[in-house]
Amino acid sequence: MKVIFKIALGIIAAIGGFLDIGDLVFTTQAGALFRYDLLWAVVLGVLGIGVYAEMSGRVAAVSGRPVFDVIRMRMGFGIGLVALIASTAINLLTVAAELGGIAIVLELLLDAPYSMFVVLAAPAIVIVVALLPFGGIERIFGYGGLMLFVVVATVFHQNPDWGDVARGFVPSLDSSALYLYFVVGVFAAALMPYEVHFYSSGAIEEGWTEQNLKENRLNAIFGYGVGAVLAVALVIVSGYLFHPVGVEPSDLGTVALPMQGAFGETGLLLALGGILFCVGGAAIDSSFAASYNLAQFLGWEWGRYQGPRKAPRFTASWLVFLAIGVAIAQSGINPVEITEYSVVFSVVALPLTYLPVLLIAGDRSFMSDYANGRIATFLGWIYFAVIVVLALAAVPLLLITNGGGG
Amino acid sequence: MSGTGRKRVRSLALGLLAAALLLTSSGCGDLSNDELNRGVESLSALAAQGQLVANGVARDATKATYARAMARTLGEEAEHEAEKLADATLEEPETADQRHAAVAVAGEISGLLSELQTSPGDERHGELIEKQLEEAGEKADAIVAQLSGDAP
Amino acid sequence: MKGEGEIYVVHRLLDEQICDSDGRRVGRVDDIELRGSPPRITALLVGEGLYPRRLPRSLARLARRISGPETWGSNALRIPWEEVDELSSTVKLRKKAEDLGLGMGDDPRRWIVGRLPWN
Repeated sequence: MKVIFKIALGIIAAIGGFLDIGDLVFTTQAGALFRYDLLWAVVLGVLGIGVYAEMSGRVAAVSGRPVFDVIRMRMGFGIGLVALIASTAINLLTVAAELGGIAIVLELLLDAPYSMFVVLAAPAIVIVVALLPFGGIERIFGYGGLMLFVVVATVFHQNPDWGDVARGFVPSLDSSALYLYFVVGVFAAALMPYEVHFYSSGAIEEGWTEQNLKENRLNAIFGYGVGAVLAVALVIVSGYLFHPVGVEPSDLGTVALPMQGAFGETGLLLALGGILFCVGGAAIDSSFAASYNLAQFLGWEWGRYQGPRKAPRFTASWLVFLAIGVAIAQSGINPVEITEYSVVFSVVALPLTYLPVLLIAGDRSFMSDYANGRIATFLGWIYFAVIVVLALAAVPLLLITNGGGG
Repeated sequence: MSGTGRKRVRSLALGLLAAALLLTSSGCGDLSNDELNRGVESLSALAAQGQLVANGVARDATKATYARAMARTLGEEAEHEAEKLADATLEEPETADQRHAAVAVAGEISGLLSELQTSPGDERHGELIEKQLEEAGEKADAIVAQLSGDAP
Repeated sequence: MKGEGEIYVVHRLLDEQICDSDGRRVGRVDDIELRGSPPRITALLVGEGLYPRRLPRSLARLARRISGPETWGSNALRIPWEEVDELSSTVKLRKKAEDLGLGMGDDPRRWIVGRLPWN
């Protein structure tokens, strides 16, 4: 019984950690522009992060190596450094976007200006992290994120044409550049690497061994599986309400409108609350991912649970990254725009951080009996091909569609 | 790198920069028929979103701070769109009437949204604004139809 | 053949995480010193001063400007091969970090945190 409970907690944590401002923005826009036609891309992306996370978790548990250890060890210093620089830059944009997202939601709920909340969000995060016990971060943000199940309730309240919805799960390649841009965007928003880097480092901090492999697999399947349900629900409610009247969602607040429509103020508050916890958790995950990557690449001592005394450089870099995130969020650029850039650039850099993990996960000399089996190998390589194609298409599509502006 | 090598790299970089500038500027400030179309479509989108917010106010099914903040953001976007449409020079002078109408609609929408911003708790007012936003949206759609009719 | 085996060890050792006898992380194998014929590993080299060596020529100059010149004892450290205890998923050393001059960047005494009253 206790084991089931523990696994359930892990799954909840994975759910909460999955949705961030990138998913919220891209799913809502995808629904508004293309109704249900991009549902297949959402599923493809979530399956992808499941594959990447399962491999990274397994590598961490069996070999004790987090992602950036694998990257430097397998690809060497030069390529590893490129991966580090790209990854850090993208993570900083992500931190800024998530901090901006927190500020937007707080502005929508309370009557105070955005810039005040951006400045307050960072110290608040530091305090929260400092005070929370072991595993507390994942749990709080996981549970809070569950409020977003009001979106699933909204789907049933709206009662869309299920035939149309079902058709959305069948891949179709509309030839418009805008559609393809959103295929990339929705996929990339689901497969944000910082989440996996955070997960793999967390596994090592918790002392995972081969005993935890089952848990790892369940997290990957159910955690992201339920996350997929939420992402799909977001596309549907947005497609149902926004597509027929031509709404173009460009603000985070728009994401909550369908829930307000279905359940009034309660729906609105649950939606905003869920968004706040998801985005807040993501701010923590992405800022730590940046510090984890830096410290692991350079060989420093690292760990959230080590604290500033045992891992001072790691902790200092975390604070610096948060501060840079605040600065970017305060620069006056709309966080939704920052999000779009962070998502698109993250898929461009994704092959660099994905391939080494795939290679090591399949390497028996590191993984002994736990190396990739036939399914994992097949999925792993298919996804690598998909990722490379999307990485090459991302920037051209961004330019052609003028950032999804059409 | 040798001297000639460096020169080649430099001219290549300049060439790329020039190309990039050309692509991005492409008639900066000139409003083509397509861009005018896009602008008016986004006005229609803003009106539609405004309607949803106003509807929440009308049914007393929303939070005042949310409605106010949303109305403000949407209103700012409408104003921004109005400025863009008003300031730009038209590529095709025949669309002057539509541009004029579009700027007027944008002003209407932004005005309605500011009203919503000041009274986000007033249900009757919200109902009125919802209706007027619907009308403004229809006007925008009519302009789009005219523009598509005009297009060769 | 012995030569190939040695090269494989060098290849695997390079960029590996180094831990001291307490299990603390104290840097990575940034370079390896080989001496003699046939070449034998005589020392592991650690430090930012060694990064420019690992980069292609075009970037090495910029890197050198950032990391500063190779200063043995400060940004470049030499760990004699005899100090290596075990090779598993990390390179484990026989001694503690301070004894070898490693991991100074994470020395709490250097950070104000170490001097805070409750630490």
